[in-house]
Parts: sequence; C-alpha cells; structure tokens
Amino acid sequence: MDFPENLRYTKTHEWIAVQGTKAKVGVTEYAQKEISDVVFVELPKKDQIVQQAKTAAVVESVKAAFDIYAPASGKVVAANAALEGNPALINQSPYGDGWIFELELSNAGELNNLLNAKQYLEAVQQAPQH
Amino acid sequence: MTMTLDIEPRKLPLHDEHLLKGARMGDFGGWLVPLFYTSIMEEHAAVRHKAGLFDISHMGEFLVEGQGALEFLEKNLPRRLGKVKFQQAIYMPLVNDQGGMVDDIIVYRMAEERFLIIVNASNIAKDFAWFEARASNGVTVNDLSEDMGLLALQGPLSQKILLEAFGAYYKDLKRFYYKDFEGGMIARTGYTGEDGYEIMIPKKKLKAVWDVLFRAGEQYGLLPVGFGARDTLRLEAAMPLYGHELTDDITPLEADLEWAVDLTKEHFPGLEILKKQKANGVSRKRIGFEMVDRGIPRHGFEVQKDGKVLGMVTSGSFIPTTGKNIGMAYVSVQEAKVGNSIDIMIRGKAVKAVIVSLPFYKKKG
Repeated sequence: MDFPENLRYTKTHEWIAVQGTKAKVGVTEYAQKEISDVVFVELPKKDQIVQQAKTAAVVESVKAAFDIYAPASGKVVAANAALEGNPALINQSPYGDGWIFELELSNAGELNNLLNAKQYLEAVQQAPQH
Repeated sequence: MTMTLDIEPRKLPLHDEHLLKGARMGDFGGWLVPLFYTSIMEEHAAVRHKAGLFDISHMGEFLVEGQGALEFLEKNLPRRLGKVKFQQAIYMPLVNDQGGMVDDIIVYRMAEERFLIIVNASNIAKDFAWFEARASNGVTVNDLSEDMGLLALQGPLSQKILLEAFGAYYKDLKRFYYKDFEGGMIARTGYTGEDGYEIMIPKKKLKAVWDVLFRAGEQYGLLPVGFGARDTLRLEAAMPLYGHELTDDITPLEADLEWAVDLTKEHFPGLEILKKQKANGVSRKRIGFEMVDRGIPRHGFEVQKDGKVLGMVTSGSFIPTTGKNIGMAYVSVQEAKVGNSIDIMIRGKAVKAVIVSLPFYKKKG
C-alpha cells in the first residue's frame, strides 16, 4: 500500500497535505480499501470551522457510514464538489482527485500530533487483519 | 475514520474457502461471514443478471417429527400445514401471544408427521425454546443447526448451473418445492427476488458441493456473493429481515405479511389479537421510500413530516441496480400513502424522501 512521504497521517486513517497555512485532507489508501465502494460523501460547508479529531465529513459505502475526522483545526476553504457526482474518486485516487476538503489551519502546532508515513505504516500493520 | 473491531465471532464451515476467494470477512450477528469478495456492486449485479452462490450455513434448521407433529404445528403456526404437500415448502412468521413476530421461517413438509424448519441464525436458541415449550407428548424437536450447512444458488442462470452440476432430476423442481439431495435437500427458494435454489446438506459435504457448483457455474459467470449484496438484494425485493422489519413487537399485519398468516384458522398464538387488529385497522405500516435529496437512509433513522415524528427507518441503502438511495420504514398509517413526501433525519438534518410502492425491484416474467 502507498503512503506518500510528504503527507501527515492520523491513526483514524485521514491524511493531510500542508502547504503554507492551507492543507488538503482525504482518506488513506488503507481506508479506501476498508470502506470499499464509496457511494456517498457528505462534504463540510465552506467557512465551516472544524476541530482536530472531530467529525468533518462522512463517507459512506453501500452498507455503512464512516465519520471522517479533521486531522487539524481550521476553517474549511474548499470542499471537493466532484465527489458529489462521483464518490468513487475516493477509491480510484485517494491522494489525488479523491481529496475531500481544504482547510485554512488555525493552529499549526497541532500538526506535531500527527504521524509521518513510517509511523502510519506501523499503525496500519498493527491493525486487525481480516 | 472509525471502524468496528470483530470480537471472536463464530466461523462458517467454509471459512477457508471464503478467504481463498478473497473475501472481506465481517461480523454478522456473532458470525464471521464474507461481506463481499470483490465488491457488493459486482456481486449484486451477478445475482440479478447471471448467478451467485452464497454460504448461509449460519442459519438454523429444526426437525419436528413424531405422532402429533402435524397437529402441534397446526396449533402453533399461523398457516395451515395440513394442505401443504409432501416436499412442498411454505413461508410464514412465527407469531407470539401478543401478535408480534418471534421470527420468520420456512417450513418444509417431508412426510405426514415430519417437518423441517429453517430459522434465522440469530434466533436459533429463542425459536428452539419456543417450539420445545409448546411440543406435545410424542413430538420431538431436534436442532440440526450444528450438523447442517446451507448454500443459496440465486440468479436467472441458477437452473442451468444446478442441472449441469447435479443432473436433470432437479429439472421439474417448482418454486417452493424441494427434492432430496445427498442427505439433505435442494429447494427452489431464496432471499434475493430472483429464481434460485437453497441447498441444505451435512456440513462435511459442503465443500464438495461448493466446488462442483463453481466448476459448473464458471462458464455462466457464477460469482461467490457475500452478505453485503445479500442485504441489498433482499432490500430491493422488499423482503423483510428479522431485527429490522420484523421484531417481537411488530405484527404481521403491520409488516404487510397478512398473506403469510391465515386469520380463518381456529388457533395459533396471537390470532385473537391479529383478528382484532384486522377489524380495527393497524396504526402503523411498513412502507418503502426513495430519497429525493442527497443522503443514504440507515436503520434507526427517524421519519418525520413537517417536524412531526411519523416512525423509523428499518433498513436503508444505496442500491446498485438503480443507483438510488432507498429504504423501508414503519410510519403512521395516515401518512403511509404512495407519493406522500416525508423527511428522513440524517445526522440531525431533514432530508427529503417520497413514499413509493414495494417492491423496489420485481423480476421480469
């Protein structure tokens, strides 16, 4: 499985790509496989304030809904509207076209709580195997 | 993202075969079952257009036999067993003294005083106690669930596959009849809304039958199908599921299962209550609905109209065939009209839906 080095990760399987004071958020390759066919995404609204480790979006498969937690606190500056018409982008391209929302970070210090690619890989390997 | 952990569920007899076929396993009422092998979408489509094979060995089987068995079942079940032919099967709910549903079952008549009953896995202990407590002298109720396995071959090409695998002897098998097979039976029944068969055999023969069916079915596009698609298929066909549309507090009349209870019978548990309900009319009813605005309805979500609570969603899903988001719910009978617009409360928001007629899907021909 692919976990790009330039991203930070959460134990709950979100990634965040920081660029200056802004950051894009999505779910990892591991998460999209666990969820399987994504058929619905509930996006956060523009200007919505989200808090680190709190629900910011919902991704649903045929059978279940998964809360997506914000990896860091901030204000939503964009949401990926393409997911409303084509939620499977999360399966096809979890780090690319399947991004979910973009934040204006309010507390860059929070990023220190997140995992790097190596630490995340270790966390995934410890997860229960099906 | 959060995920649930599996806590030591029981394994199916074909557990290793499911892993070999790449199954994603998950918990279903205390059983570790294949949720899907490749994808729910693909497996759902296979059953609608070709064929699929399900391992449903978690289900329970009881054998009721002995002198007085017919009379015992006539007294306790809501349909007439006397007119059921040998090798014929009949579907019905098991009704409690309050008119609620203990389970839904299929009864197979094997002989004058010998019946096989298939029950839901989660209800094996409860149902067994229910039958045992009522059984009269001379009638024995045996739980065969530990010894028997169950496969379901479903889809428009399932007859071709079955005949190729097991021969022309099964060619004239009619819907809701069975024939003997390898110490068990092949019945033309199912839970998908398609033509198909359920094959009950001793667990030790399960793998051989599974393999023979896949060899015969390969050229027809037979796929293994998991519990994810089993649920979307039955939901699309509007078949009720115990614990969702059927519970100990919901009556067959409310569940739109009046056809599966015979109110002209002299006796069965709950009969008088059901007769009264029939005369007075039910206060809530099972309905189907389709989402108008974006959102997937799920079990337990509230149904509202103009801020007033009408009832609760019992099953809901995205449906692979149509791409629609649909569900079933119980709502107050005044509002249970096709075309009525309702709101489904999804994560605190009212999302528009409309009541539609059931089933969502009906097989052609």
